[in-house]
Amino acid sequence: MQLLLSELAKSLNMNPDIVERWIRQGRIPVKQRHNTCIFVPETLEKWAAAHNVNLNMPGSRETLRIEEKPQSLLTAIEQGGIYYDLPGKMAAEVLREAAQRMDAIKSRQLKDLLYERLMDREQMMSTGIGNGVAVPHPRAPIIDDGVNAQIATCFLEAPVDFHAVDKKPVFIMFVLVAPTAKQHLYLLSRISFCLRDDSFMQLLKTVPDRDVLLREIAGLESRLDQDNR
Amino acid sequence: MFCCVKLPDLKAAWTRTTGKPHVCLPAAGRASQQPSNETNFALTPYTKVKQWFARLMPQWSGGEDRLMLIVFGAVVGVCSGIAAVGLNFSLHAMESFFDSYRFFWWSFVLPAVGAAVSSLFLEKIIREGAGHGVPEVVYSVSHHGGLLRGRSTFSRLISSSLTIGSGGSAGPEAPVVMSGSAIGSNIARLFSLNERQRIALVGCGAAGAVAGVFNAPIAGLVFTIEVIVGEWTAIHIVPIAVASVAGAQVSRLLQGNQIPFTHLHFDVDVTTTIASVGLAVITAGACILMTRAIRLSHHFAGKVPAPIWVRAAMGGALVGIIGLFLPQVLGEGYYVIQKMVEGSFTQGLALVAILVLAKITATSLTLGWGGSGGIFAPSLVVGSVSGLMYYRGIEAIWPGLFTVNEGCFALLGMAGMISGILQAPLTAIFLIVEITGGYETILPLILISVISTTICHSFEPASFYFRDLVEKGHYLRPRTDAKVLADLHISELVEKDCAIVEKNMNLGRFLKIVQQSRRNYFPVIDENTGEFAGMIHFDDIRPYLFDAMLYDTVFLEQIMTTDIQTVDIDDELSEVLKRMDETGSFSMPVVSNKRFVGMVSKATLLDKYRKELMLQTTS
Repeated sequence: MQLLLSELAKSLNMNPDIVERWIRQGRIPVKQRHNTCIFVPETLEKWAAAHNVNLNMPGSRETLRIEEKPQSLLTAIEQGGIYYDLPGKMAAEVLREAAQRMDAIKSRQLKDLLYERLMDREQMMSTGIGNGVAVPHPRAPIIDDGVNAQIATCFLEAPVDFHAVDKKPVFIMFVLVAPTAKQHLYLLSRISFCLRDDSFMQLLKTVPDRDVLLREIAGLESRLDQDNR
Repeated sequence: MFCCVKLPDLKAAWTRTTGKPHVCLPAAGRASQQPSNETNFALTPYTKVKQWFARLMPQWSGGEDRLMLIVFGAVVGVCSGIAAVGLNFSLHAMESFFDSYRFFWWSFVLPAVGAAVSSLFLEKIIREGAGHGVPEVVYSVSHHGGLLRGRSTFSRLISSSLTIGSGGSAGPEAPVVMSGSAIGSNIARLFSLNERQRIALVGCGAAGAVAGVFNAPIAGLVFTIEVIVGEWTAIHIVPIAVASVAGAQVSRLLQGNQIPFTHLHFDVDVTTTIASVGLAVITAGACILMTRAIRLSHHFAGKVPAPIWVRAAMGGALVGIIGLFLPQVLGEGYYVIQKMVEGSFTQGLALVAILVLAKITATSLTLGWGGSGGIFAPSLVVGSVSGLMYYRGIEAIWPGLFTVNEGCFALLGMAGMISGILQAPLTAIFLIVEITGGYETILPLILISVISTTICHSFEPASFYFRDLVEKGHYLRPRTDAKVLADLHISELVEKDCAIVEKNMNLGRFLKIVQQSRRNYFPVIDENTGEFAGMIHFDDIRPYLFDAMLYDTVFLEQIMTTDIQTVDIDDELSEVLKRMDETGSFSMPVVSNKRFVGMVSKATLLDKYRKELMLQTTS
């Protein structure tokens, strides 16, 4: 098996310079000839155990861990689905309707749980963030194998009073469900960036088609990525 | 099954990026730095042996190299034993050659000629500084993994036999230790052994040399461990013991199994043991006097505006003049010791006292002014003479106090002197027992050795061999904080994942970068020159963080701290830590040639330090 020095250094969680010095000083049972290093894996493992050094040889389970990447806003919205004409006169009614309609939440039980959590959060403080928009979400992440990070976009049949900060009735809800708090915050910050954009708000008021809405969000998100770079 | 790891040519990359060689060696080590790639593939016997050896190596590369080190240790021991015997022969030849001229009035120029030629030889032909060799070996062991030049295998043998053979007051032991060590080092280099193995072989060389020159295997082993290697671990003791045996055996085969200083039987009783405490004070005084006299005369010689060989000649001439009146001070002086130990030195107390001072003076003139040789033999002479002086002094006050004869005190004096000069009591005890065969004196011998060491230590904190190293900050012993810190290099610790920002960037743009970064420190550079301009800590922007009006109006140039302490990539880590402690900071920017390289932080340092410590302290 062949490894670069950098890979050996990585499996020792050390700087390549240090590993090279260790080889030169004879502190590690690795032999260096010309530009090649030779070692017996068993000897190296024994050495690592004797010196209390962490050694994760490539191929072992620990090194296969893949860094989790946050899901983009666009995929979250695609996952959550876009729903039109939700009936209801009160926040509780529209929230129950939204929970029922969300396709990605499969089981009856889960839908009830979600509704309960959304109501809990709503009673604490309104999720109506102004300008006729609400972002209902559960306080604690819902951990279930069937639940991915998602945002359900719900256009309401008629504006509903959400006790929003600016007292304006809500005409659109983004129901945000995420399995981890980190994902939750990430999506929340992205959606609030979009909502600060005037033209996007204008577009929402026209109740756009699915394709138009998704295209607009994709555009906004790539702009955000570029800004951050 | 073996795994192969391709090693990118880091050294070349390093040199490219920093413009500096990867390993900075002082002049002594640089010339013999291992070539990184061999271009000569001709099938000489040497390459054949090497190829055969390379096939065996993988099994031996790990912790399982003990057998290999034993084999190599024996070879190195034999070689350095031969070197020791060779030096003995050439010294005798040289002495008998010069003896025929010793009766002329102008014979005082002989040591001058010898010292001058030896100095010229070292300076012009070999291009090595004078000095006795042991500190050089210790320095090489602690800093360069025992790397010594090939020419050191013979250079000191020739120069010291010129100095000593012509009458200079110095010893042949340190030169032969240097030769043996260089033999070990170069054999290790020949077979591309790693530094740990090379250090073991350097120790083998030193042990074989001492064992060979004194016919004293235990002294060889103990001296090497106590003085040269400084680490009592099996990995060193085993091959070094084998080398001691080999060196002593070679010496016995070539020049017979004889104890250097035979003596009459001693009847040691409690008065002798108690009286040895007094002698310890005398020898400690002589040690301090001799150490300071050598340094003083070296210091004085440095001020003489003359070429180095002229200075050596002047020192040699002065020794020759002393030698006209007291021929006992000339040369290594072993026959003087023999007389003392036998009790056949008949001159009175006053002459003995003068002889102590004369020998110290002659030694400091020889070594301090540029002659080549060691301090071992002169110490033995001074020790034996001071032992005799002490005995005669006590006898004059209280006749008939001792049941032993004066030879016993000459022997104890040697132990006191050696232990004081080297500050290595074990070496002194074993050496004296072995070279005199006087085990019956062991009780006072131990006592005088430890007391003399202790007294010397309180006046001269570093031994004669280490004093220069300590003063230059080069004294590193294995498994110490200083050694671990010296092994780590800033380039191994520097963190390069800092977001670098520009002076003209506005606050709003900067906050975007802060959002993305995982660090609290942001180096600021001048975008025109690329030079490091200052640092911004997250705390610096806290007051402006939520004031959106400032986002476009404030530039980083206005926020950054410019009077910041930086470190260079080649700075010593101990120095960096000292500066961190002084400023109370936990991390510092590394700036090389005005370019920002990265950050070095105490947190990373501790992590790496601990790993290094674990590696160096478990074996």
